[in-house]
Amino acid sequence: MSASAIPAGPVQIGVEIEEQFHTEKQQRHAAKLGMWIWLATELLLFAGLFLVALIIRVQHPDAVTPAARHLKFAIGATNTAVLILSSLSMSGAIEMSRMGWQRGTVRCMQVTAALGTIFLLLKGFEYYKDFDEHMMPFLAWRPYELAHLPASALFVDDYYVATGLHGLHLTTGVAIVLVMAWQVGRPGYLARHQNRIEVLGLYWHFIDLIWMIVFPVLYLLNR
Amino acid sequence: MTADEKHELRRRMRPPAFATLALMLLLAVNVTLGILVPFRHVWIVETLVVIAMILTVLLVSMELPREPPVIRFFAGIGFCWVGFLVAMTLVDYLTR
Repeated sequence: MSASAIPAGPVQIGVEIEEQFHTEKQQRHAAKLGMWIWLATELLLFAGLFLVALIIRVQHPDAVTPAARHLKFAIGATNTAVLILSSLSMSGAIEMSRMGWQRGTVRCMQVTAALGTIFLLLKGFEYYKDFDEHMMPFLAWRPYELAHLPASALFVDDYYVATGLHGLHLTTGVAIVLVMAWQVGRPGYLARHQNRIEVLGLYWHFIDLIWMIVFPVLYLLNR
Repeated sequence: MTADEKHELRRRMRPPAFATLALMLLLAVNVTLGILVPFRHVWIVETLVVIAMILTVLLVSMELPREPPVIRFFAGIGFCWVGFLVAMTLVDYLTR
C-alpha cells in the first residue's frame, strides 16, 4: 500500500493484550524491558570490540595512527550525521504512532529506512576505497599497504569486524523498519500493536548510539 | 491535521529535535578537534563529548527517564557494568 492511500487522520491506537498479561501497561513495560535486556547483551558484544581497538591503540600507537589515518574520516563523520537524522525520523514515527497518525508514521519510518540505506551505501563505498587502497590485511592474496607495521593489521581487522557487525545490525534494522512500515499501513495495526514501534525505536536509537562510539574509537582518537 | 494537533505534534517533537541539534553540535565539536588536534591530550575532550552524546541518546531519544524504575535499573546496570569492565581493563593497560 502506498503512503498516500493510507488514511491521514488519527486512528485508534492500543495494544492487543496477550494472555499472560493483565493490563496493556504491563505488556508495554514487559516488551520494553525485554528489549533493554537484549540491548545490554548487544552492548557487551560491541564493548569487547571497542576494548580491543583501544588496547591496540595504547600498545601500538606508532602502528595504529597510520592505519587510523587511512580510514575515511569524512565518510565516518557524514555517516554519524546521517544516523543522528535517522534517529530524529524514528522519534517522529514513534510520536506520530502515539497520536494515531497512521500515514505520518509510515512516512517517518520510510525516511528512517532511507537514511539507514544511505549509511550502508556510504559504508559500502568506504569499503571499496579501502579495498582499492590495499587496506584489507585479511586478504591473503592481496598486498597490504601497511605490511611493515604488523600491529596495524590487528587494528584494521578489528575495524572491519566492528563496522561489519554494526552494518549487519543496521541492515536488519532497515529490513524490520520497512516491514513494520508496511504493517502500520494496514488497517487496525496501530490499534493492536502500537507498542512495537516504540520497541523498534529503542533498537534503532541503540544502533545510532553504537555508531557514536565506533566513530571516535576507530576514526577519531589520536588521529 | 487541525491547528491543535499540529501544536501537539510540535510539542511532542521538541525534545527529539533539540536532541538532534545537540548531537549535531557535539559531532561538529569532535570532528573539528579530530581535524585540528589542538593539543596532545585532546582525546580527553573527545571522550567527554562522546559521553555527552551517549547520555543525550539514552535520556532523550530512548526516553529512559520516562520508563518505570525496573527498566531504568536494568538499562543503568547494563551501561555501568560495561563501563566498569572497559575502565578496569584500560586502567590495567594504561598503568603498565
